[in-house]
Amino acid sequence: MRGYKCLRPGRVGPFSGHTWPVGGWVEGRDPALCVRGVHACRIEDLPYWLTEELWEVELDGELRGEGRKLVAERGRLLSRIEDWTHETAISYGEGCAARARERVEAATGDTAARLSELAADVAGVAARGEPALAGYIAARTAEVQAGVDGYAEERAAQAHWLASELGLVRA
Amino acid sequence: MLISEDLTCQELVELVTEYLEGGLSSTDRDRFEQHIVLCDGCAVYLEQMRTTISLTGSLTEEAIPAETQAGLLGLFRDWKQG
Repeated sequence: MRGYKCLRPGRVGPFSGHTWPVGGWVEGRDPALCVRGVHACRIEDLPYWLTEELWEVELDGELRGEGRKLVAERGRLLSRIEDWTHETAISYGEGCAARARERVEAATGDTAARLSELAADVAGVAARGEPALAGYIAARTAEVQAGVDGYAEERAAQAHWLASELGLVRA
Repeated sequence: MLISEDLTCQELVELVTEYLEGGLSSTDRDRFEQHIVLCDGCAVYLEQMRTTISLTGSLTEEAIPAETQAGLLGLFRDWKQG
């Protein structure tokens, strides 16, 4: 199965600190990784884990969905999603900020004031190129306005943006 | 993740040992790692903890000079009495 993996610069796992080889299988039971299984993302998981590098991965062996990620017995990096750059990350954040502003315009009173603050925060972190944080605040903005459904709707919009702008293929 | 499920920085600090020892449930591990993605300060803290554990894990009793050992033991004694 194919999936996606968010890594720090140099193909470094953001939690394990492990430097991923390109093409070589990584076994999830490797104690050096300090994890049980190789973690990867479906498209809908990506907004929660965005980092500087995005890679397509092949997963093998026992596979299960666990929360907002996939966990497999082994995995290997196939190719980097080259279109995911600092500039793309800023564009992604700007999209989050635009949707947050739309929610401000649709709100009134105290809610509008609160949403306005959050929307400004989204715009600020988006400009700094922090896509995960921009997405998170945008989702919380949506939650303030529309509850659980708003949160889910915003997260879905973020995943849709990534899939369409980066040409990601659903596994 | 809904607002009520968010982990605070203080909660993360309290959970870091369990996280590193693989003792967190899948849900809590997710919450922990999602916080790390969003929070540079906690990401640095986690890295510092890993480094500390790595360095102290390679330290043997024999590697500590006798003078330093005596000093440390003295401090522990004072601390226990205090």
